[in-house]
Amino acid sequence: MNYLQLHKSPLFLKIIFIISVAVIFFIGGITFKHITVLKKSSNYVSNSHEVNTELERLISFIKDAETGQRGYILTRDKKFLEPYLKSKNLVKKSFNEVSKLTKNSRTQQANLKKLLFFINKRQNYLSKTLYLTEQKNYDEKQLVSNLLIGKQAMDSIRLKIEDMMIAQKNLLNNRQKEYESTMNYTPLLIYLTLIVTLILITIAFIKMNRDLIILKSTINTLSVAIEASKLAEIVGGFGSWQYNLETHEYTFSDNEYRLLGCEPQSFTASVEEFYKFVHPDDLQHVIDNANIIPTDSILPPFTYRIIRKDGEVRYFRALGRVVTVASGEKTHIGTTSDVTEEMYAQNFIEERNRELESNNKELTAFNYIASHDLQEPLRKIETFLSRLVSKDYDNLSKSGQQYVSSIQSSAKRMRVLIEDLLQFSRTNKAEKVFEEANLNSLLDNAKQELAQVIEEKNGIIESNTLPTLHVIPFQIQQLFINLISNSLKYSKQDVAPVIKINSTLISAQEDNFLPNNNNNAKYYKITIEDNGIGFEQEYAKKIFILFNRLHNKNEYAGTGIGLAICKKIVENHKGFIVANAELNEGATFTIYIPAE
Amino acid sequence: MTTDFINICLADDDEDDRLFFTDAFEELKINTKVSTFNDGVELMNYLNHEDSVLPNVLFLDLNMPKKNGVECLLEIKKNEKLNDIAIAIYSTSSSEEHIEETFINGANIYIKKPNDFDNLKKILSEVVTINWQYHTSGLNKDNFLMRM
Amino acid sequence: MKVYLKFDYAQLTKKIVQEKLSELGYKFNIIGFGEFNFLEKIPSEKVAEITAVFKEYGIEIVENQKSVLVQKIKDAIVEMVNSDKPLNIKSSVYIADKLNLSYAYLSNVFSEVTYTSIENFIIIQKIELAKQLMINTPLNLTEISIQLNYSSVAHLSTQFKHTTGMTPSAFQRIISKRRELSNKNNN
Repeated sequence: MNYLQLHKSPLFLKIIFIISVAVIFFIGGITFKHITVLKKSSNYVSNSHEVNTELERLISFIKDAETGQRGYILTRDKKFLEPYLKSKNLVKKSFNEVSKLTKNSRTQQANLKKLLFFINKRQNYLSKTLYLTEQKNYDEKQLVSNLLIGKQAMDSIRLKIEDMMIAQKNLLNNRQKEYESTMNYTPLLIYLTLIVTLILITIAFIKMNRDLIILKSTINTLSVAIEASKLAEIVGGFGSWQYNLETHEYTFSDNEYRLLGCEPQSFTASVEEFYKFVHPDDLQHVIDNANIIPTDSILPPFTYRIIRKDGEVRYFRALGRVVTVASGEKTHIGTTSDVTEEMYAQNFIEERNRELESNNKELTAFNYIASHDLQEPLRKIETFLSRLVSKDYDNLSKSGQQYVSSIQSSAKRMRVLIEDLLQFSRTNKAEKVFEEANLNSLLDNAKQELAQVIEEKNGIIESNTLPTLHVIPFQIQQLFINLISNSLKYSKQDVAPVIKINSTLISAQEDNFLPNNNNNAKYYKITIEDNGIGFEQEYAKKIFILFNRLHNKNEYAGTGIGLAICKKIVENHKGFIVANAELNEGATFTIYIPAE
Repeated sequence: MTTDFINICLADDDEDDRLFFTDAFEELKINTKVSTFNDGVELMNYLNHEDSVLPNVLFLDLNMPKKNGVECLLEIKKNEKLNDIAIAIYSTSSSEEHIEETFINGANIYIKKPNDFDNLKKILSEVVTINWQYHTSGLNKDNFLMRM
Repeated sequence: MKVYLKFDYAQLTKKIVQEKLSELGYKFNIIGFGEFNFLEKIPSEKVAEITAVFKEYGIEIVENQKSVLVQKIKDAIVEMVNSDKPLNIKSSVYIADKLNLSYAYLSNVFSEVTYTSIENFIIIQKIELAKQLMINTPLNLTEISIQLNYSSVAHLSTQFKHTTGMTPSAFQRIISKRRELSNKNNN
């Protein structure tokens, strides 16, 4: 859980950083914009003042021209004409100045145009008046009308200039208002964004602080784990290595060095260094396996030999897999275990098993071939004997006849023995083909096989529903046949045999007889109970041993193989068989067959 | 028809067994004509020959050199011409799996070689009679399975 | 595709004989199973012709008097075994009544000609029918034993084993595996 939080926090912090930078940029932008607005508005103020001053100067130049002209007309002194002549240039200069200052305002420009008209008009009339007065005999009336028009133009000029000054004042006022309204909300905006930024930074700080705490405790746990794993490596006799798939660097644990018989970290971890220890015969095998590392995420376990620094040959087993660490880097981690002792033990067991298996095979084959091939000559002996008896019996002496019948009965017994032995070895040898089989139908088949004996003995066989199991059908059928015929054979002379077959599903711990090592194991417990002559409980184990018989062969025919076959069959099915009996009280055979 | 011979063939590599077999038929009072073969190859050569009189019943030992009984059985069952022959396996083996396998492959009768000559006679006479029934009394030959 | 047929030999034979004889232009009566009566005199060379025609179908003309009798006994038994009605009387009485001859005589003739007894023949017929029922009908062994007038399943099982040397279930298993095998080979 903590690891997951840590894993995500860089992203979270990045987001906060980006937001903070964006906010600061925003504040900077706003401030810049406001300073620009401020500067503009002070420019407007000074501009307005300049416009007003220039307008006043303009009017004063016009007035000067008028005054000068007036003085000249009255005095005819050329000195008065001087300002008049100068004023023309000055007015032009001043007018250009105003025009330059007001070039941004359309209304002022329009006003200026009208003003220019009036100024020109005024100046024309001034020149006209001057011209008239220059004539020796000028017309008084014409002069007066000229002067009147000049005065009207002057009034218009004055009015226009006044207009312009009012307009300039209005403009200034408007700008002043605009500026004030902007300046009103700016501080609030800056303040708010600052607060948001502060909150974000605080959250980032808290987050980082928390991550630091988790990191600290993780580091603690990790250092404990590292120590523990180091200890475990020493105790367990294995080492570990890491191979960073990005940087191509190797790391070996301390114990990895110890396994090679070296001091921890006594040489630089690298695959080349390691290969120096690998047994030359196994080197290719190890390299082949190591080549799987980049392509496959799991390195399958493989065993190889190494030669330790002290020259001892040891068996190592390697196992590894690719893991992706939190940073997203891929690392191949693996362990190396010293399995020398295991290998020796395993080799020993394998050898023993092979020996046993071949012995067993030989024995079974011998059994089978012996009993199978023994049948041939025996059959001939018996057949020839039967012909001898039917053809030449009467020609034999009394003792000869006796001998022949003795040979016959011995041969017969031998045949029964061979047949039973053959069946016994067949239960060993036969290919064990397991299939799903309904035990009820196998029991039915067994009853059909024994139908004649059952009828002769008036036997009754009762059974409840038996399960369907994964078995070797022929063998289970044989098991039923052997057990039922056993019960029929050892039935009481004057009591009709009753055989009860029952099946229940039990778990291993419910039954004392079953091994308790796996309590969850389920077994089918099948009991075959009869009302026959029974036997003493002390023989209960002996009856399953090959050739063991409780009765003289004159009393009951038999070879002592039937129940041994039963035991073999049950063992083939990984089950158990036991007998419980009391003399003259019947016997119960119990079979346990694993349910799975 | 009763005056006709019943043709019988036996393929068995064991000389004694062939002797018991022919002796048994001699002692039985049935009109039979018995031919014996020493192995499967000899038998198949005879059966595949155009002029051969095909047997009514063929007795096959399983364990024979060159060509064993099962091989003969499969070969006969594949050949339409030989389809009408009733096949009796005549063997020492009494393995259940073995017996069932030969039946599944098309054998009609399985005889475990008996240990008694009288018994042999009885079995052979029974086989011939029952086979006769299948030929004359309208019994379905596909259902002809018998074990002795 | 492979199909399995169940057929009645008596019916089949009757049909074939009827058709063939009509084809050849003879007038005849059917008396019973395998017994025909010609309504006219047949010259001996014509008999050879009819024999040749029937031989193709595996049908023979039985001339011998004893053989005729045996055939009649067999017909009676087949009819008796295949009859749906339960038999109240002993089979020996049934056969003797049917042929109107003493059972001892019939029994003798039968054994002489067929090397087997009437009783054995009845058993063979019953087991044969049991086999057919086992293979071609869904009836179980108990139902079959009832239909065939056996006192118990065990009795049928015992007789089956005694006659064929194998248990009914082994028989069934072999036949079904044979069919599986031939289906596999045909495909």
